[in-house]
Amino acid sequence: MKPKIKPKALLLALLFPFFLASAHGQQKPLDVGIRFQKTLDMYYENGLTAQYALSERWAVGAHYISSRLGSAMGSNAIKQDNIFVSGAYLFRPQRSLRPFVRANVGFFRADYEAEIFDNLPNTSPLASLETGLTYPITPPLKVTGSVGYNAITGDGTKGPGTLFPVFYQLSFTWNMFNQTAP
Amino acid sequence: MKKYLLILLTGLLFISCDKDPDLEDHMLDSGLRFDQSVYEPEKFLVSYANPNPTPAEAQRPVLIAIHGYSASTFEWSEFRTWAGGRTDFAISQVLMGGHGRSYQSFKEATWKDWRQPIMEEYERLEQAGYQNISFAGSSTGCTLVLEMLANGYFNNRIQPRHIFFVDPNIIASDKILSLVGVVGPIIGYTEAEHTAGEAQYWYRFRPYETLKELRSLLNKVRKELQKGITLPPNTSLKVYKAEKDDVTDPVGAVLIYKGVKTSDGKTVDISMIPSNLHVFTRLEHREGTITTQDGDNQQQVFEDMATRLVR
Repeated sequence: MKPKIKPKALLLALLFPFFLASAHGQQKPLDVGIRFQKTLDMYYENGLTAQYALSERWAVGAHYISSRLGSAMGSNAIKQDNIFVSGAYLFRPQRSLRPFVRANVGFFRADYEAEIFDNLPNTSPLASLETGLTYPITPPLKVTGSVGYNAITGDGTKGPGTLFPVFYQLSFTWNMFNQTAP
Repeated sequence: MKKYLLILLTGLLFISCDKDPDLEDHMLDSGLRFDQSVYEPEKFLVSYANPNPTPAEAQRPVLIAIHGYSASTFEWSEFRTWAGGRTDFAISQVLMGGHGRSYQSFKEATWKDWRQPIMEEYERLEQAGYQNISFAGSSTGCTLVLEMLANGYFNNRIQPRHIFFVDPNIIASDKILSLVGVVGPIIGYTEAEHTAGEAQYWYRFRPYETLKELRSLLNKVRKELQKGITLPPNTSLKVYKAEKDDVTDPVGAVLIYKGVKTSDGKTVDISMIPSNLHVFTRLEHREGTITTQDGDNQQQVFEDMATRLVR
């Protein structure tokens, strides 16, 4: 039996920043929104993103993206899901344009749909690094763009073959709890 | 800071210049030993061997066999040897453009050049009156046939009867290929590890220009599969894919399964082979021991192909 991303686990992971925000009395920004991601030479995978600021410079987040909401919509692309949590460090937190670095870990699963492919690997841990810029368009709306590198990819003998190294993403988020903060 | 950046850029420019490898005489890359089909096409191509078939000969199956990226006609020679004296089908071993000649001709060829001799052989056979033409591709040979199917090449032509793919190249196992546009100009070329035997039939050095072409072709065909490719009426497709393959990722079989349909909307036939060899039907000049399983895999696929061809 191959591991699957269970809806309950997905929900728990995505609510992780909300739990943290509640624990901190909702004093810090909680940015929730949509994430559009493209992997170089592979699919568009879109989904949800949430990030909670622990301090001025440090933030944690949870993200779910899937080709189901991207390339696989109305096409023959493989349906695949990525769920990951992140820790980010912001540079120049007082400025409008804030560079950041982010480390992600999580889980990847692809659905090959037919039994003949049961021997092929279709799941993998995720580990990636991202760097990019975030900019408050008009608070509480924020846009974040970044480029990332997946440390774990498929190589034909192990790991899912549609897990590629380089991706870039654009997120639009809304600060839920601290609407005046940029 | 600017000074260091300038030094870095100058350094990058310096190491990205003059990136041709040292070629030795025994290598296919050297330009001193071409693929044999260049000298004696009649021994490899049915259109040259028998340009005026009798009506009976024109009805017999002809299989156009296409090798992979950086390989040569040798990749399908074991099938010809296996077929031996059989006269119920014939084999045309096509040499892809830019292949089997020299490093320089490889470097200068685009993927459309690789494809050109396949179309030329098909058109010569068609004009000669051959009615029953099939394809066997290995690795990138399969990618080119898929591209021909997607671009409508077979519209208003004789439809191919059977198409066989061995380890089709849809997604490269080495995912660094996706970065060839950045890394390529710096490294100039990559080098494959070959046995002495393989060095006679495969290019050892792969110019980054050809890797860029390969990447373009793979991306094009992957997107076509995403949209969907429909086989011509009465054309069948059988895919044989090694379950482990460090050259072409086995997930490519999934993309073909999802992306290609027969003319009546059915999925195509896929066999996942218990092998870790790339183009597992080629066993000669391999490094290491060939197992009984390897031999069985080859024989079973050759028998299956021949049975389908003459069915």
